[in-house]
Amino acid sequence: MRIAHYLNQFYAGLGGEEAADLGPRVIDGPAGPGRLLQQLLGEQHRIVATIVCGDDHAATTPGVSAELLGLARAAGAELLVAGPAFGSGRYGLACARLVAAATAAGLPALGSMHPDNPGLAEAGTAPVIAAGATAREMRPSLQRLAAAVAKLATSESLTAADGRIAQVARVGRLVERRAAWRAVDLVLRRLGGDTEATEIPVGGFDAVVPAAPLDKTASAAVALLTEGALVPAGNPDRLESARATRWLRYQIEGIEELATGAWESVDGGFATVAANADPNRMLPLDAARELERDGAIGRLHGEFLVTVGNGTSVATARRFGVEWAAELRKAGVQAAILTAT
Amino acid sequence: MERAGIPTALVTNLVTIAEQVGAPRIVPGGGIPYPAGNPALSPQAERAWRRRLLERALVAVTTHVDRPTVFEVDTAEPAGA
Amino acid sequence: MPRVERSRTVQALRRVVHTVHTVELGETTGYEQGRLLVGRSQAEARYADPALAAVRVHVASPGDAVRIIAPLDVVEPRAKGPGGGMFPGWLAPVNRRRGPETHVLRGAAVLSAGYLPRNQEGLIDMTGPAAELSPFGGTHNVVVEFDPADGASWAEVDAAVRRGSLRLAAHLAEAAVEAEPDAVEELAEPHRPGEPTGGLPRVGVITNLQTQGAFKDVFVYGRSMAGSLPTLFDPAEVEDGAVVSGQYGHPALRNPTYLHQNHPVLAELRARDGRDLRFAGLVLSPEPVEQSGKELCSTHAAWLCRAAGFDAAIVTKEGAGNADNDLALKVDALEALSLAAVALYAEMSGPDGTGPPLVAGPRRGALVSTGNYDQRLRLPAVERALGGDRLRILDVDATAAIEAPVAMMLSALSPLGAGRLTCRAEEAA
Repeated sequence: MRIAHYLNQFYAGLGGEEAADLGPRVIDGPAGPGRLLQQLLGEQHRIVATIVCGDDHAATTPGVSAELLGLARAAGAELLVAGPAFGSGRYGLACARLVAAATAAGLPALGSMHPDNPGLAEAGTAPVIAAGATAREMRPSLQRLAAAVAKLATSESLTAADGRIAQVARVGRLVERRAAWRAVDLVLRRLGGDTEATEIPVGGFDAVVPAAPLDKTASAAVALLTEGALVPAGNPDRLESARATRWLRYQIEGIEELATGAWESVDGGFATVAANADPNRMLPLDAARELERDGAIGRLHGEFLVTVGNGTSVATARRFGVEWAAELRKAGVQAAILTAT
Repeated sequence: MERAGIPTALVTNLVTIAEQVGAPRIVPGGGIPYPAGNPALSPQAERAWRRRLLERALVAVTTHVDRPTVFEVDTAEPAGA
Repeated sequence: MPRVERSRTVQALRRVVHTVHTVELGETTGYEQGRLLVGRSQAEARYADPALAAVRVHVASPGDAVRIIAPLDVVEPRAKGPGGGMFPGWLAPVNRRRGPETHVLRGAAVLSAGYLPRNQEGLIDMTGPAAELSPFGGTHNVVVEFDPADGASWAEVDAAVRRGSLRLAAHLAEAAVEAEPDAVEELAEPHRPGEPTGGLPRVGVITNLQTQGAFKDVFVYGRSMAGSLPTLFDPAEVEDGAVVSGQYGHPALRNPTYLHQNHPVLAELRARDGRDLRFAGLVLSPEPVEQSGKELCSTHAAWLCRAAGFDAAIVTKEGAGNADNDLALKVDALEALSLAAVALYAEMSGPDGTGPPLVAGPRRGALVSTGNYDQRLRLPAVERALGGDRLRILDVDATAAIEAPVAMMLSALSPLGAGRLTCRAEEAA
């Protein structure tokens, strides 16, 4: 089979974060981890082209999946492999969207990323194989991927035994006993020594590797963001009061402070009186401008990004975080201050 | 955003939740409805506190951290406010 | 000096139950053999207040093609009979001695519906797939719509509607006081520490009450618990309306007065009292809005449970993510004192259920799932809507066929445990 392999700019050897805005391009044959993947695939399959795109470009440009797909087809690909993206959010998002688009367009495709990758959801029903959490697990991740590619090439379907990560869904069901009865039942079991029994998994916290600190902020571009649903009075773009499906951006270029009455919080989760009386309590523009004038900040980014946290699912919030990251990086923002309610 | 290399100061009153989701740089805010505000203070005192809050946020993004770290803001009124 | 034996018996509260099979509007309020007649002008008179220009009384029964939108509080009709005393702090003085009998019109509910600020728009369908998800799809609802008077503040309107609903609830139940009961339920007081347990564990419940100010507050004896510390509380007082909801956020996660009067966890603990456990008591706690308050209430509540001799506690909340923080802190505090803790959580796993279920969970403990906030349902069109003409949140006619999240259905994810919804992990399609 002739295979197109999608990589981000880093794994393709075109640069690190500074090259994250590279547009789609093709490299002949395998590149980066594609070389090991080719070895593992053996003679039967050939990586004829490596399709590359910068992570920020891929995450923020509409229509990029179609463009990448076009490049794969132009190279004569009969199958598309994307990743491994491990835990990288923007890369995972790009891979997931690409394999979803390819599958929908009839090109067999397969992604590879860690099960916790925030982009996984965007693959939909297209197959994704589990990879390790970081590039330290490149070899075992590629071995699993190679085996899955071989199977996909013969039109066999992939299952959990192949490392396929189907998303586990927690589905609402009506059961016989009401929740209060089940609570008493659980507490009695717990008292009886069964410390494992639970209806929702307990414990387990997200590990975020912190970004390196800036040296100083005096020359830095800093952005303000909020999940407190701060919007222009009247909510002209109709941001939801709960269960956000989108995020918005508003200009603050040339504005020294948020004027009372010009802005409001439409967050349904708390009393918005204080925030509406002085919107700077939600988005601290007045103090930020002061710091900008005093030289503590290099410049304030000309827009603020906003969504509503009230009732918004964690999956959606994680995806927004990935998208915000790409937006800010594209704009050259180096640090962010996010207010959360 | 942290994962993408943008140090981010999370200003929130719900410090426990922020720690649980792994936010590395946490600046305790004024209250759920007003993370960057404190209506109990006089307007000048509140404005001065908000500036100190942001200064703390700037400290947070210029500080190396390995795990969720809380950057407390003082709540004392400045002398002569 | 010889010790005088003091009598330790306290008269148990008796619930005198009158079942309601049908509800109709008519001339004069009356109750006979399961049939409740609501006197229209008598009902309207309960809402007489300068803050209300008019009220309209309707009936919506299970199976009716009716959708109630913008529901506010729901109250079960209850009365004390001669001597009165129901709803202390609202209709009655708080310290008045009340009789041991509480008359209940089981199967009926008084419910006001209409716009108030911060009333996050909810709904109750009396027919169709949503009907079984809300406890109030199964009650005969006396629905009162209201028009605010010119110049009345929303706070005044809110108070007037609340007083009217409580008065109407008491008025309706009073009609049944003389009737032969359908059941009499004895509610023994909680097991006292030091009394023999027969080897059974002492299990109590901590109920967190939302205390976020205007339109987001829950009243105890007519006052907000904001700023209070958690306290042990007599469950018999809750039976008599000491806890009244003035909280209108997050419809699916709301605990209306009705669900405090019929507290599900109290009921389940009582059901197994003496068999599998001893019912050790009830703790009420505010849900402070700031972190330091949450931590204080959690450590104090855990200490209180231990001091009261609980072996375990079930913790309930009201509200969404913010309230989850209080649950997590309380469970961790209880477990740190070696009390077994269980909390009731709703999940927010996204419309397809694939997102992480919780943001703020405890480090230890066991969790009950009351369902997925984000799950969506298709609801068929109905013939009639009460509480408004338009579902503003979806910008459609209130009677229209809609697709709505479970989040909108009143008390569908009941944090007090009234519902039968839960989440099961299944392979996504």
